[in-house]
Amino acid sequence: MASLIETYACAPSTERGRGILISGDPKTNSILYCNARSVFIRYLDRPLHIAVYGDHSYPVTVARYSPNGEWIASADVSGIIRIWGTHNDFVLKNEFKVLSGRIDDLQWSPDGLRIVACGDGKGKSFVRAFMWDSGSTVGDFDGHSKRVLSCHFKPTRPFRIASCGEDFLVNFYEGPPFKFKLSHREHSNFVNCIRFSPDGSKLISVSSDKKGIIYDAKTGDTMGQLSSEDGHTGSIYAVSWSGDGKHVLTVSADKTAKIWEIFEDGTGKVSKTLECSGSGGVEDMLVGCLWQNGHLITVSLSGTINLYSASDPDKQPLCLSGHMKNVNTLTLIESNEKIILSSSFDGSILRWTPGTGHSGKLQRKDSSQIKCLVATKEEIMTSGYDNKVWRISLDQDKAGEAEHIDVGSQPKDLSQAINSPDLALVSLDSGVVLLKDMQILSNINLGFSVTASVIAPDGSEAIVGGQDGKLHIYSVSGDSLTEEATLEKHRGPISVIRYSPDFSMFASADLNREAVVWDRTSKEVKLNNMLFHTARINCLAWSPNSTMVATGSLDTCVIIYEVGKPASSRITVKNAHPGGVYGLVFIDACNVASSGEDACIRVWKIVQQ
Amino acid sequence: MANAASGMAVHDDCKLKFLELKAKRTYRFIVFKIEEKQKQVVVEKLGEPSQSYDDFTASLPADECRYAVYDFDFVTAENCQKSRIFFIAWSPDTSRVRSKMIYASSKDRFKRELDGIQVELQATDPTEMGLDVIRSRAN
Repeated sequence: MASLIETYACAPSTERGRGILISGDPKTNSILYCNARSVFIRYLDRPLHIAVYGDHSYPVTVARYSPNGEWIASADVSGIIRIWGTHNDFVLKNEFKVLSGRIDDLQWSPDGLRIVACGDGKGKSFVRAFMWDSGSTVGDFDGHSKRVLSCHFKPTRPFRIASCGEDFLVNFYEGPPFKFKLSHREHSNFVNCIRFSPDGSKLISVSSDKKGIIYDAKTGDTMGQLSSEDGHTGSIYAVSWSGDGKHVLTVSADKTAKIWEIFEDGTGKVSKTLECSGSGGVEDMLVGCLWQNGHLITVSLSGTINLYSASDPDKQPLCLSGHMKNVNTLTLIESNEKIILSSSFDGSILRWTPGTGHSGKLQRKDSSQIKCLVATKEEIMTSGYDNKVWRISLDQDKAGEAEHIDVGSQPKDLSQAINSPDLALVSLDSGVVLLKDMQILSNINLGFSVTASVIAPDGSEAIVGGQDGKLHIYSVSGDSLTEEATLEKHRGPISVIRYSPDFSMFASADLNREAVVWDRTSKEVKLNNMLFHTARINCLAWSPNSTMVATGSLDTCVIIYEVGKPASSRITVKNAHPGGVYGLVFIDACNVASSGEDACIRVWKIVQQ
Repeated sequence: MANAASGMAVHDDCKLKFLELKAKRTYRFIVFKIEEKQKQVVVEKLGEPSQSYDDFTASLPADECRYAVYDFDFVTAENCQKSRIFFIAWSPDTSRVRSKMIYASSKDRFKRELDGIQVELQATDPTEMGLDVIRSRAN
């Protein structure tokens, strides 16, 4: 049996040029954000436990708690809103198709009975409000001609709805049943976010024209503006009121977040500017914010969540980071403590410490895409989708010097001889390249289409797997390979080959769902019938004591076999990562870390029966 | 030449042994083989009642098709001892295509000759007839 002990969450998915909306529940101290097709509930006091809701069939855009905290409404790009319970295993209460296009914002009414949703209605309605349990419409929302980016309910009676959009308009509706009252065209660019203050007295709208305008909440008349001195120098993407309604937090593409003090007459003055702590590139543009309890939360384009303390905004914020896309490799580095390195194909490499979670992002000078990654204590070697193989020296969490070499065609697989790390084997489509100290030692054309390869820890032997399912074993001497044996058992292209840590066995897996463990010296099959996956096997890992093999597959399962026992007595972890498992590594003899398409990394504890 | 699609002749011994398994429980399993030259289904192996499921899986060749009948005993949720007679069409992926075709086309006629099969199962590799699969099909 395997039980989940830790999850290293992914980051919210962001898009350049648009803001994102994150929300939270002050009572349970949690924040909600979306990535791909899942909604993530993250508890700020328990960062290693997250709850995931994955029932949407389309990418999710926004999710919000109901005012009583019992229900969450989440919306996706197809225009569907799902309302589900927070407890009780996320039981679905209702599902409505609200708009014909993407939904950009969603709000509950203060009494929890109505929901307003806005977005891209593709020419028809852009905003719709409906009762939460029956779905019946509560009003006519004309007045917009383009995508509506944000909407909000006035938190106090009399009820009003304000909406703003790409047609530069801010519209005000009275009701229920809601009818158009007036609109303002004060902004000169997309109006990105609109929010009522918690006491219901003021309304603020922020726009890509770098302005923020404040209105009276009851009548909808303009009151004043956020002062332009010391204002933002880039589009303002999101705004959030403090709990007392006296301050707002705005985030902008100029990579800063500003806290403004709002006066009774409706003008605002900057009271604090929070500079970004990153390197200042495009990925530090801030796209989302939330002011909850005593925390100021900002989200940057790279997905990093920064937590500032409201009472002491000058203190260094806590940065929570994660991957945004498929995590396709996982390796373990054992320096003075165990560190897991995960990398995603978009080039981000993150470090994690088992037990505490996120421990830094590897700052790289250039972020080329990564397909394969191997790591030792002092350096990592990566290869991507171009013809280059990179070697980067590691110095705690800073990437040191990076050197690269062009190997002639796209590397299919990369392997380092663990005991002599300057020897590496790169497999290309038609052969292999031996690298010594980042210089090409030899480029050998093997004559068959290579799909996977591995080199022995001492560099004396190499195994190359081909498109036809045959495993070729070569002995390596100097710069040449001599074929020793060919093993035929697999019925599909080989996807991964790994030596056991004690070097007595190796395991291979193919695209036809089968894995085999072989004895290295006698070339006999040690464990076969490892056919329990239902889709291609993507990754394979050995336990440190060479007794267990774990395989991860596109069918979202991780299966752990014991070499001494028959394959049928296996431990299966079902649905480990929706979308497929792409990375696997054993942390120690009874903990496995897996990563997958959903951009999360999970640690499982294996309990022997 | 008998048309393979209309089914191979069934040797009388097969029916007799199956009736013995059903009525008197003299065997745990029976493995049948199609003899192409005689164009008949004949009994290849018989299993003693004391043998287990693992002995049965070991008696099936890994790269040739077979038919098999297995008498599976289990205990239900209400603590009753029950048994089910399984018909397993063993057609491994590694066997020859001609073999798979002959066994597939003769299966229906052969099954009709054996009256009293409760569950039918087709297995193309050992994982598909694992003990957990059998247990889940038994209920």
